[in-house]
Amino acid sequence: MHLSRREFIKSGIAASTASLVGLPISKLAEAAAADLEKSWQWDKSVCRFCGTGCGIMVATKDGRIVATKGDPNAPVNKGLNCIKGYFNGKIQSGKDRLTQPLMRMKDGKFDKKGQFVPVTWEQAFDEMERQFRKTYAEKGPTGVAMLASAQKTIQEGYAFNKLFKAGWRSNTIDPNARNCMASAVAAFYSVFGTDEPAGNYDDIEYTDTMVLWGANMAEMHPILWSRITDRRLAHKSARVINVTTFRNMSSDIADLEIIFKPQTDLAIQNYIAREIIARGAINKDFVEKHCVFATGPYDIGYGMRPTDKFAYPAEKDVQAKELKVTLDKYEAIGQRRQAGEVVEQKNTGNPAAHWLISFEDFKRGVEPYTLDFVAELAKGDPDEPLDNFKAKLKQLADYYIDPQRKVVSFWTMGFNQSVRGTWLNEQCYMNHLLLGKQSMPGNGAFSLTGQPSACGTAREVGMFCHRLPADRLIPNPAHRAYSEKQWNLPAKTLNPQIGSYYGKILRDLEDGSVKWLWVSVNNPFQSHPNINHWLKAAREMDNFVVVSEAYPGVSAKVADLILPSAMIFEKWGSYGNAERRTQHWRQQVMPPGQARADIWQAMEFSKRFKVKDFWGEQKVPGLKVEGYEDGKLPSVLDEAVKMGYSPEDSLYKVLFATPANLKVRWPDGVAKGHPNHVVTLLGDGWFPEKALWQEYVPFTRGDGKDLADFDVYHDDKVRGLKWPVVDGKETGWRFNEQHDPYVKKGAGFDFYGKLFKAIPSGDLDKVTDPKPVSVAGKAKIFFRPYAAPVEQPDSNYDLWFCTGRVLEHWHTGTMTRRVPELHRAVPAAVMWMHPDDAKKRGLKRNDLVWLESRRGKVQIRVETGGRNTMPRGMVYAAFFDEGVLINKVSIDAACPISKESDFKKSAVKVYKA
Amino acid sequence: MRDRQDGSRGVPGMDDKRRAFLLKGLQGAAVAACGGLVWAHLLRQEAAASVLALRPPGALPEADFAAACIKCGQCAQACPYDTLRMARAEESVPIGMPYFVPRDIPCYMCSDIPCVPACPTGALDPKLKDVAKARMGLAVIDAESCLSWQGLRCEVCYRVCPVKGAAITIQNHPRQTSKHALFIPTVHSQACTGCGMCEDACPTEVAAIRVINPKLVQGRIGSHYRLGWKSDTPITQQFKPAESSSPAAEPVPAEAPAPKTAPGMDILNQGLEP
Repeated sequence: MHLSRREFIKSGIAASTASLVGLPISKLAEAAAADLEKSWQWDKSVCRFCGTGCGIMVATKDGRIVATKGDPNAPVNKGLNCIKGYFNGKIQSGKDRLTQPLMRMKDGKFDKKGQFVPVTWEQAFDEMERQFRKTYAEKGPTGVAMLASAQKTIQEGYAFNKLFKAGWRSNTIDPNARNCMASAVAAFYSVFGTDEPAGNYDDIEYTDTMVLWGANMAEMHPILWSRITDRRLAHKSARVINVTTFRNMSSDIADLEIIFKPQTDLAIQNYIAREIIARGAINKDFVEKHCVFATGPYDIGYGMRPTDKFAYPAEKDVQAKELKVTLDKYEAIGQRRQAGEVVEQKNTGNPAAHWLISFEDFKRGVEPYTLDFVAELAKGDPDEPLDNFKAKLKQLADYYIDPQRKVVSFWTMGFNQSVRGTWLNEQCYMNHLLLGKQSMPGNGAFSLTGQPSACGTAREVGMFCHRLPADRLIPNPAHRAYSEKQWNLPAKTLNPQIGSYYGKILRDLEDGSVKWLWVSVNNPFQSHPNINHWLKAAREMDNFVVVSEAYPGVSAKVADLILPSAMIFEKWGSYGNAERRTQHWRQQVMPPGQARADIWQAMEFSKRFKVKDFWGEQKVPGLKVEGYEDGKLPSVLDEAVKMGYSPEDSLYKVLFATPANLKVRWPDGVAKGHPNHVVTLLGDGWFPEKALWQEYVPFTRGDGKDLADFDVYHDDKVRGLKWPVVDGKETGWRFNEQHDPYVKKGAGFDFYGKLFKAIPSGDLDKVTDPKPVSVAGKAKIFFRPYAAPVEQPDSNYDLWFCTGRVLEHWHTGTMTRRVPELHRAVPAAVMWMHPDDAKKRGLKRNDLVWLESRRGKVQIRVETGGRNTMPRGMVYAAFFDEGVLINKVSIDAACPISKESDFKKSAVKVYKA
Repeated sequence: MRDRQDGSRGVPGMDDKRRAFLLKGLQGAAVAACGGLVWAHLLRQEAAASVLALRPPGALPEADFAAACIKCGQCAQACPYDTLRMARAEESVPIGMPYFVPRDIPCYMCSDIPCVPACPTGALDPKLKDVAKARMGLAVIDAESCLSWQGLRCEVCYRVCPVKGAAITIQNHPRQTSKHALFIPTVHSQACTGCGMCEDACPTEVAAIRVINPKLVQGRIGSHYRLGWKSDTPITQQFKPAESSSPAAEPVPAEAPAPKTAPGMDILNQGLEP
């Protein structure tokens, strides 16, 4: 079958051209053009896309966006944008922008088998409420869920977090950041006891050595790459090292490129640690004063279901590894066991457990990771001579160890999206800590964030199934009590049982545990692995799926109700980027048609519910927490009444329009005349974005996470501030006495994070003394072994498959593919493949093939050239293309500690379509 | 028409003499038509090639110029440098009209612009009074063959440019491979007249800087974007929302009844691909 490329581009996306924004300068005389631009109104804002967090300015006229520009005053980007950011002004105006709620109806009533029909917000919320009550009555707080987003504004994240946890007493809210940064968070917690990087982007301008670990920064953090490239060119001894599973654009200026086999980064990092010790390069002073050694169990599974009840027949062999694994020869050596040993995965329930070990034990742990062992295991390009690869590994160790070199390690999804993602993060800190190259300008491990506000909205706000604002945790009674106090809730309102994480929510949908799902600002039915399962669950199970969206993407297509949502610049908001910089913006234009901001959706919906609906006794299956009766949440209504509440109070009044918040009035001078459609629609004269911000910031103060007041961020001179902001000053490098106000004078360094700082002791294999030892102020150097990927190529599925992005498109393409220029630049996803692999299968460039795994298959075109050069044995395709749903193929295995899905390695076969 | 047994075709019921007469008439008409076709073809070729012609200063836009120019040759006579030539039939530009080849003789940018008043029809616009405002073409540099780009000290184009400092400027960059700087000539379209003195003077074997019709090479940054550092756009202190009568002023009220159709509906109701 031969399809032309045009035919292959499916759906109306190609035809949905953005309406012309702005006035074409060519049609006006230059003088008239200049005059016209004088009447434009400019304001500062941020780019909608990646975690770099570039500052932009937006120009409007007569209620329409007419232009954007890179903000020359923004320290991140100094007036520059990448090609996605260049189109910030056009993403709102795609032809099929959703402007009306749409619901599946038959005979004038909701029907899951019906077609989408326009409805009013009133009708939408009516059905949404009816379904919510039905599910809540049947299933309690665990039956309702939200798949939330690191692309929501901070205030929206805060509002939904509060609505779910304080209002509905449900912890089943988890963001797509789970699939992005969860492993990074887990390692920040285990190593430092507090989330988010120590350094900031200025590290680039101070450092000598930049190591990229599985991160194609050239395409994925484009403006940071501009800074890295400039540093490399301007500073003669600067070196860039690209450690990657395939050659990509980041190799262009790399001095050293290391192609490694998937997941052997676990072994490579241990090799470096072993070298540090062998060469006597440990920074003894730093390690003795500021670090301890730790390790944990290895038999933690792969984040898959413990049962194969829902697995397709082809999935069952890999699924079985969740219960037990047969070690291959490399794992055996790396884990000090026997090849062929069958290991039951006994610690899947407690994978994050860890304990102190001695330095001697740590040394013994890394001992097997010799150059010979690691090189043989890790060499990723079959055509590269082994000696070549060995020399490169040694060079990499040299760069880290050279006492004259400052080193920054960068990573994003290559580490995080792995079945051992948390371990990989911990290992990077291991090497920086051993060398004492951490928390200093130009020296440190830098976990890069992918999404624009995984930091600001998901992590800092605590919008996860297990978190509360500012590094507080659901299972911690003191943290719950604090949050209840801040939120003016009766004691024990909050549910102490961790909810379902993102991937589990989808599994819950499949097994019927979740029957009411709200998806907001993300596209899980395209972006999560193994989507054949979830697509079927959404459409065929008895459930109600609401999707808040701007465009008709895949998730909208499987929804029961679609709510049109306001986009950036159509609402007030804020984002927190990868260097802890929180940036705010005002509303510039009205959202189109009936589209409304998510924060309005949360608050308006909350008006329909009363305190008495939720603060009575609620059943929570499986709840087993000290101080609580098994299986249920207590009623807190009596306490509520004592506090002055009435059971008839609406959640809106109790959670949002509180007496304190109602005092934050609109209009407010900080608006400078800008509108606020949420205020207008709510109609009660208070300023939600500011009020909720001010309600939120006390959570962050006093423990090293301080955010500033709302008005400060809106000051004309401010371009965001890096927290902690103390006495009006932002913080460049955390934990360093010279830069962090939280470090006491004379301490030098203080890793003052509080989480997991009292742990038992043991040896390399187990706990030997369960009594918790305090390691306050210290960072942990973890020993973590090599573990093989759960699914590897075999005789049937004989290729590695990896996915990620391309520079031109963002995530699932719902926004960028509606910009005609970006769509023209990269119209379809292609599968990069080594030409020999293609030839061997009778394929040539541009052939249409099936890309198939145990879980599903998609058609895609072969690309043997272009921006990525694959080693033999591996293929790569991006996930932006609705016409090529590669996540039908990917595996929903995850890091058992972080629950982050492993998008980077699964086994596939490729054959002509 | 149907085939005959002898293989020829013909209208049924016609005798040979009449057929021959008709055929001759048809053939004659065909020759005339063909001749016309050839001439029309030539003219179309020329029209397409006209984009390659560099016209004298003040020339009207090409279609208007072709209409107004009476091919009298007065402009070429007036030019003191013999820059202008009248195109002959075998040349690659439309016949009879004035053009120039900078590599042979560029325009020397006479301050009194003698070619313009010499033109009797206004094909060269008499409103042109300042020769620096002429736009005969745009100089474009081939970076691969430009010696300055390679790091050599050349920049002849920059020094001979009569609008020096505006049409061509030098931008310095570090030369990565040694402690020298690069001197990169950069053309600025808002000042370049297209005179071609740069192309004429360029010392490479084939000129690395060429004057060309800007339509062939110029792009345009999207009108929705401004380069952030090029203009100062302070934050508006008193934002004026859209006029209250405009639809963009207020959020659409919730009481509005649901329309029969809405954007995205048709795609959504197509459902997923199998």
